[in-house]
Amino acid sequence: MQFTWTKDEEAFRERLKAFLADTLPEDWERFSQHGPASPSLTRYAESFCAALAREDLLTPHWDKDIGGQGLGPWFQTILAEEMWIAGEPRGGQYMNVNWIGPTLITYGTEQQQQRYLPPISEGKALWCQGFSEPGSGSDLASLRTRAELDGNEYVVNGQKIWTSYAGLADTCFLLCRTSDDRKRGITILLVPMDTPGITVRQIPSLIGEGDIHEVFFDDMRVPATARLGEEGQAWEIIAYSLRNERLGIPRYSLARAALDRAVSILQHRGDFTREAVRIEAAEAAALTEAARMASYAIVTRRAEGQVIGQESSSARFATVMCERRVAEFIVEHLPEALADDHPYLKMHHQRGIVAGIAAGAAEIQLNIIASDVLELPREPR
Amino acid sequence: MDLALTDDQRAILSAVDTLVRPFEAAPLHDAPLAATSDDLDAQLRLNGFLDVARDPDLGTVTAAVVIERIARLPFATEAAFSAMIGPLLGEVPGPICLIASRRTPQLVRFLAPGTTVVIVGEQEVESFVATQDHLRAETGALYGYPMTSLVALPDERQIHDIAPSIMFIRWRAALAAEAAGLLAAALASTVAHVSEREQFGRQLATFQAVRHRLAEAQVRANGVYWLAMKAAGTLDPGDAALAAWHAQESARACVYDFHQFLGAMGMTLEHPLHMWTYRLKALIGELGGRASNAAAAADALWGLSNS
Repeated sequence: MQFTWTKDEEAFRERLKAFLADTLPEDWERFSQHGPASPSLTRYAESFCAALAREDLLTPHWDKDIGGQGLGPWFQTILAEEMWIAGEPRGGQYMNVNWIGPTLITYGTEQQQQRYLPPISEGKALWCQGFSEPGSGSDLASLRTRAELDGNEYVVNGQKIWTSYAGLADTCFLLCRTSDDRKRGITILLVPMDTPGITVRQIPSLIGEGDIHEVFFDDMRVPATARLGEEGQAWEIIAYSLRNERLGIPRYSLARAALDRAVSILQHRGDFTREAVRIEAAEAAALTEAARMASYAIVTRRAEGQVIGQESSSARFATVMCERRVAEFIVEHLPEALADDHPYLKMHHQRGIVAGIAAGAAEIQLNIIASDVLELPREPR
Repeated sequence: MDLALTDDQRAILSAVDTLVRPFEAAPLHDAPLAATSDDLDAQLRLNGFLDVARDPDLGTVTAAVVIERIARLPFATEAAFSAMIGPLLGEVPGPICLIASRRTPQLVRFLAPGTTVVIVGEQEVESFVATQDHLRAETGALYGYPMTSLVALPDERQIHDIAPSIMFIRWRAALAAEAAGLLAAALASTVAHVSEREQFGRQLATFQAVRHRLAEAQVRANGVYWLAMKAAGTLDPGDAALAAWHAQESARACVYDFHQFLGAMGMTLEHPLHMWTYRLKALIGELGGRASNAAAAADALWGLSNS
């Protein structure tokens, strides 16, 4: 076991920090409260990601033959940590570079790759993820949005909900039902968001403006060539896509940075002498570091070339625990942070509400740990 | 950063596995609260497993790996301090007992005639070899370790040229590594029970109320393991204090749940669960408990005062 970074890893982190310091505008911390999917941050992300791309920092974790630098999982982790600590100036584009691009490379046709990959690697694309539906949240395989083949076109009818970035996205990675087989009846369509028959309605959210949406599909038609993979292959493709994304966002990194910031503010105004406050701060730090190490254990396995299994759910749940504990500490000891006094802490708080809900609810993570890590007998269905 | 075991660590762990195999089964006859085995103690020492940290190529992480593994056994054996602290003290007779003050009486794990008692004071580190005169047996103590009260100190004590801060770092790392093993074993024992025991026509493990709390225990135990390994790897005061706090907090959060899920079996000495949980209870109170370890972490992470 080695608990220090290599020189290359350290240099990469320093390079990212320097890039962020040079690139982000002076009022960035206040600006970042707009939320990752807000129109203003989305616009900013276009120039930021283009600058990242010019420095070969947008897709360094992609293999060299597909336009990346071939840097391994530790570099991807460092990149994700530094971006998230900074308030994710890539906006919704983190999703493209993390999994949509690699998925298109693996499963897309040549035509799809030619159309969609250049904008991703140049930092100009914005995708949304058409997964959840009003009746299908955690139980994703029950989704009902229907795609029917009519000649050489799919006709799509249905509704998606809680869709991040849909308001401004150019393309939707859309899951549709093409047959009644629960998992094998689901198909992926790559849908331009300006296709007639799509209506997007923003849902006011706690995360920041423009973050989540309802998306309605009324007799929307796309050519059959918009299909990614075969009919019914969606479940397999998503499993592949999420294999590298199981750890999700490294929320422990921002949680710890926010905690350190909160402590610094309390110290500066002379309020960090009370033992009870110091103890609670340390407790929150223990949880962020536990989540960090649990995540690093998974990254270690990825770096060894192992396929990551369900044990990453343990790291995910640890991350939820630390995210909430830090947020609670800040609300209790720096309540003004949720007004406008400390925009960095407010930004952390806004985004933290998502931790246990998005990308597989915390209870689903516990189910996975129970069944696949502890190997408990399954619940009756 | 690389959290994989080295080849050496894998080999040592495999050798420990082989050595402890005869000691995996809990002693059910006589069902003691604290089970010990002179044979196990002797074999661990004889084969050098408590000396791994004396080899700079293996170091304190390997010691932590060994401590965690041995703590999973139903038998309580003093491995943690011998493996983690022993190399700092030179050649002293084991087992090693650590205390943080000269206060008497105080309850001490593994204290017996011939053990080395190390007093980690605020200013200095001193030790003595205990004799019967210093002790009062606590045969009725409700802990999974053999417990003895230290009732007197000899006037003559050896002074060690070691900073107390260094000792506290290793003490916390050792405590966390031991707790990680105890939590893992207690969790495994509980998982085995709820996977077999049926009520209402179903295994207990199929009830979500049980599943989710055990899954949370897994998350905590996993966190304790990794913080313990990191503390042993960096020997950083902040890392050590965070690991000790997380170990004690996780013990507090898990112990009653584990007994709860065993139902009435969780009240008996016939099931071995208590051999791990009632050791965890002793660790919860060590080093001043959670608040003291959290305060130590705060000092290490953010300094002692306002800026």
